[in-house]
Amino acid sequence: MAPLIKLENITKDYATKRALNGVDLEIHSGITGLLGPNGAGKSTLIKLLLGLVKLTSGRGMVFGHHLGVDGRLIRANVGYMPEDDCYIPGMKGIEVVQFSACLAGLPDIEALRRAHEILDFCNMKQERYREIDTYSTGMRQKIKFAAAIVHDPGLLILDEPTSGLDPEERESLLRRIQLLCEDHGKSVLISTHILPDVQAICDHVVIIADGRVRLQDSMSNLSKTSAPSVNVRLLGDSDPFLQRLTASDLRYAAAESGGWDITGVHDDLTSVIWQCAEQSGTRIQSLTPAKNSLEEIFLSTVRETADATS
Amino acid sequence: MPLHDVGYRGWDEQRTPTFMRWWIITKTGVRLAFRSHWVKRSLLAAWLPILYWGAVFLIVENAILQDTRQEETLQQRIEYLKEQLDKSDSPEESAEMMLSEAQDQLMQFQLGSQQTYVSRVLGNWLAAVPQANKIADAIASGESHVIRQETWRWLFMTFFRYPQALMLIFLIGAVAPGLISRDIRSRAFLLYFAKPIGRWEYIVGKLMIPAVFLVGMTTLPALVLFLLAILASPDLSVLYSTWDIPFRILLASVSLVIPTCSIALMLSSLTQESRFASFSWFAVWVLGHGAYFAVMLSAVIRLRKPPFSPEVMSNSAVKNWSSLSLYNCLGDAQTFLFGFSSFEESWKGMLVLVVITIVSLGILYRRVSSPVRV
Repeated sequence: MAPLIKLENITKDYATKRALNGVDLEIHSGITGLLGPNGAGKSTLIKLLLGLVKLTSGRGMVFGHHLGVDGRLIRANVGYMPEDDCYIPGMKGIEVVQFSACLAGLPDIEALRRAHEILDFCNMKQERYREIDTYSTGMRQKIKFAAAIVHDPGLLILDEPTSGLDPEERESLLRRIQLLCEDHGKSVLISTHILPDVQAICDHVVIIADGRVRLQDSMSNLSKTSAPSVNVRLLGDSDPFLQRLTASDLRYAAAESGGWDITGVHDDLTSVIWQCAEQSGTRIQSLTPAKNSLEEIFLSTVRETADATS
Repeated sequence: MPLHDVGYRGWDEQRTPTFMRWWIITKTGVRLAFRSHWVKRSLLAAWLPILYWGAVFLIVENAILQDTRQEETLQQRIEYLKEQLDKSDSPEESAEMMLSEAQDQLMQFQLGSQQTYVSRVLGNWLAAVPQANKIADAIASGESHVIRQETWRWLFMTFFRYPQALMLIFLIGAVAPGLISRDIRSRAFLLYFAKPIGRWEYIVGKLMIPAVFLVGMTTLPALVLFLLAILASPDLSVLYSTWDIPFRILLASVSLVIPTCSIALMLSSLTQESRFASFSWFAVWVLGHGAYFAVMLSAVIRLRKPPFSPEVMSNSAVKNWSSLSLYNCLGDAQTFLFGFSSFEESWKGMLVLVVITIVSLGILYRRVSSPVRV
């Protein structure tokens, strides 16, 4: 199956900085998480995909349309939800969505009908008739999402879609994204820093750092490679406990947030840790799942990049 | 959940043509601008001058009608006297004298050497109006179609030049400064450019917002005024002598709209704060015209003549620096378009307008592109 997005050796230079450096990337249908530290080149990549900035070198295709040539055709088939607030002051919620639909080529009346339909889908009630300046962050997120999907695009590019949402709304939005993908065949590219979101809904993950694609794999493959780990905080002397861990084939490392991150191949890691504590006479203050596996992968990838750069 | 909630549904209908997408931006912008009470009031105020100008057209047409009637009466009298003389075998000397007197009156009337009604009426009124000498010759000619043609052109030029140009400054100052600056501040450009919209379409769409208001406060009132003037005329023959005026109105509107909207939008694109753009907009007019006044004042002092006197206005420094004022440049274009100055007299002002427009659009394009590029 042909990829939706195919980039070959893409480079993008700004005046003083190389934002993307030889990016090769293939994104297939489904939900893909785009991860990377700040300044990694995610936003530039998204702008390139939308045809908003020109390539310095390389070539790419989105939906079979050439990057840098068919920007308008690409944008007609893509729905983009920016990270930042973007609204036209003085407009009502419903007007913003209708306006977006009109810009994408829907006739006036149809745009209004569709805007109402999409706002219903986004669970936006009477607030739609209020001026957008008076909206909370969560409401604005919903409006941005509605404006991104109102013209029924084949590909959705969502930049931090859940930031500013309360847990319930976050859950709802993720469910909507999944529904769009599973029931309506939409493909989604999510750029986010909230790794649990990626873990919850993404089929693929792309990690980009320092302008290069550092990792590109399916979520299922990434889960396999990750060993279970927990974070343990101890009361008193930790040395006897750590010695017992080594003897039990468990690896440990001091966690940045405090305590020890313990990793092992045991099926029941928690039981083994309790046994070690008992044998060494150490008291455990807390035992929590360590940073989840995706976070671990993300951090190690980013660290490797930083080490390579330095 | 709303009762009519149908969940998400696909949409695969025919899309509107891409070349008209700018109109969506314009339409939405005009609708938003119209929510401001200031804009509504300014637009209403911009229509008030047509009451005054309408009254003037009525006076002019009545004056011309009076003269036409007077000429007809003289001709009828001459015909009558001729008939009487032909019928009589021995005509009285007094009848011949009366005929000769009437023929003299008609000749003088047609030559314009006698003060016609129109020149009396307009002469009194125009004495108080600057630049009125430009149509004095036409009035002196005494020919009604020439008087009408020149007077109408002159009235329309003054309509554009004085009340509408001043109203323009206020209306554009109320509408344009926020058009791009607010988009930059609220990052609304992402809303536009994430859709199949090009930068020029965005710029044209935005330019057309103040342009629509300008058309509403200059072109439309002028065309309504033209229609009123036609209705106030004795017959439709006026169309023959004034057919060119609607075209001149349209050209004058274009010359007014393009440079002013470009400058206003360029200023709006330079800042995120619309009040700074507003301030800059008014500063462009005030400082430009102020600098021109300073040059004129120096000529007044040097020549020891009153301001706006022919000696001062024909002074080379005053003429050369006239283009400092945007108001004068627009005036140059309008006097040329309404036929009251030659190209040689107006080219400088028009060139300044063209250059300002090109530079403004260039800056505007760069400023619109920059938030997306970064």
